[in-house]
Amino acid sequence: MFAYILNLATLICINGVLAITLNFIMGYAGIFSLAHAIFFGVGAYSAAYFALHSSASIFLAVPAAMLVAAVLSLVLALPALRVRGEYFVAASLGLQVLGVTVFSEWKSITGGLGGIIGIPPVELFGHAVTDPVQFLLLASGCLALVILITNTLLRSSFGRNLKAIRDSESAAHSFGKNVAAIKTLSVVISSALAAVAGALYAFYLGFINVESFMLDTSTLLMAMVIIGGTGTLLGPIVGAVLLMLLPSLFSYMWFLPQTEIGSIQQIAYGTAMVLLMVFRPGGIVGSGKGDRR
Amino acid sequence: MKQENEDALLRISGLTKSFGGLRVTDDVSLALRPGIVTTLVGPNGAGKTTLFNLMTGHLAPDSGDIIWNGKSIVGKSHYQIGRLGVARTFQDLRLFNHMTVEENVLTVMEPSSWIWQQGGSTARKARMERVRDILERTGLSDKAATRAVDLAYAERKFLSMARIMASDAKMWLLDEPASGLDRGSYELFLDLLRTEVSKGVTVCIIEHNLDIVIGISDRIAFLDQGRLLADGDPAHVLKDPHLAAIYFGDQPA
Repeated sequence: MFAYILNLATLICINGVLAITLNFIMGYAGIFSLAHAIFFGVGAYSAAYFALHSSASIFLAVPAAMLVAAVLSLVLALPALRVRGEYFVAASLGLQVLGVTVFSEWKSITGGLGGIIGIPPVELFGHAVTDPVQFLLLASGCLALVILITNTLLRSSFGRNLKAIRDSESAAHSFGKNVAAIKTLSVVISSALAAVAGALYAFYLGFINVESFMLDTSTLLMAMVIIGGTGTLLGPIVGAVLLMLLPSLFSYMWFLPQTEIGSIQQIAYGTAMVLLMVFRPGGIVGSGKGDRR
Repeated sequence: MKQENEDALLRISGLTKSFGGLRVTDDVSLALRPGIVTTLVGPNGAGKTTLFNLMTGHLAPDSGDIIWNGKSIVGKSHYQIGRLGVARTFQDLRLFNHMTVEENVLTVMEPSSWIWQQGGSTARKARMERVRDILERTGLSDKAATRAVDLAYAERKFLSMARIMASDAKMWLLDEPASGLDRGSYELFLDLLRTEVSKGVTVCIIEHNLDIVIGISDRIAFLDQGRLLADGDPAHVLKDPHLAAIYFGDQPA
């Protein structure tokens, strides 16, 4: 039972990082990306590759993963940033599909469908973190750091630039804001921080394959942000905790037919999402008003 | 008209723009001189806002040139023209709705796209001081922490003005800034505009209210169906019976 809770808490930290970084571009720059799982994956594969071939030190593997994700996001963000709104959602969906194909086909790096096995445990000052409690501390430390970084950025002039673009791109342009540069930078920051979650994930499981980085992960992350409250500081964390806890809550309800848990879960999620959007479009933490005038 | 001979701050020549088969701007030439308030008048669909969109790089002209301080700015992007010192307001305001009043003004003063602004804490304090001053002059001090979307109509209009005041632009293009204002707000608006003009801002304004047109203009440019029909002294242009007929929708005599 204790191991189960530790596992859940660690996964909540990892998904929390992902939800926060997605909210950074979704809620503040208005970039609705359905490809967030790709940068999660890029972080995981890069960290795993780096750990296997070079060093498993957190101070080397994690920055390496962040760098790869940042560079890739740049190459892929530039064309995608030329389109807005629903067109960007479509473009990011294309990116997600493309990314999954690369993950499953580039066998020399990603191990293909079989994935990468035997990833060494992460090292902190030469000490291999194998104990689940220690790993949870490490993961929550990373979560805290990501929260600190994103919140500091959002309260700064950069955060105001993002929000200005989200609220009126043409007005931001008129007042001399380099919208393309600001958006690109936000995507780079978001992807690099998402790679931290990827690296943690790879080190935590010791094994990764493409199944963790598919479209359903991207959709789940988007659901966390929307349910928690897009464009709020607390929303994505609340969303991540909730969506990670719900499946286990369902499996503890003894009166439900255990073989049908999966479908019951889907029905409950779907209904909850529809009701939430109708009655509380701003999400759980959001202002509650449907005020997107 | 004052300072007739002085060089234009912004000069457009032979500007033409078509959407499909429709010429929305047809060979328009106009010089906006420093310190002069020029008002664009004309019936709906005359191409006034299109002219603003062309001047700010929001639209690219089919032909013609736009000269800012002696250099062509055709082909420059929207934000580059903004940085040169041409700022505008929008008919539909386009405020940063989910930001506070204070943030709306502050963000305009922060030019860097990077994650920090130059000048450190001294510059930051100076910016906050200026924000306070601008909010006081536009009557928005009490609303500093209110989100733009929650403001009343007149307050939204003044926030639009506050934002352009924060921009440091030498040239202001104002798209119907006073429409729908009540008498009191309208007096405050005129005072505000006169003060800024006296400080050296050059203004081009689109306005339908003839009281405002007369009250503030040094010069009037009359547009109809994309063409510039008249350009000159307000009393002169407004007395032209032919223009009045077009403006009020009658058939020209």
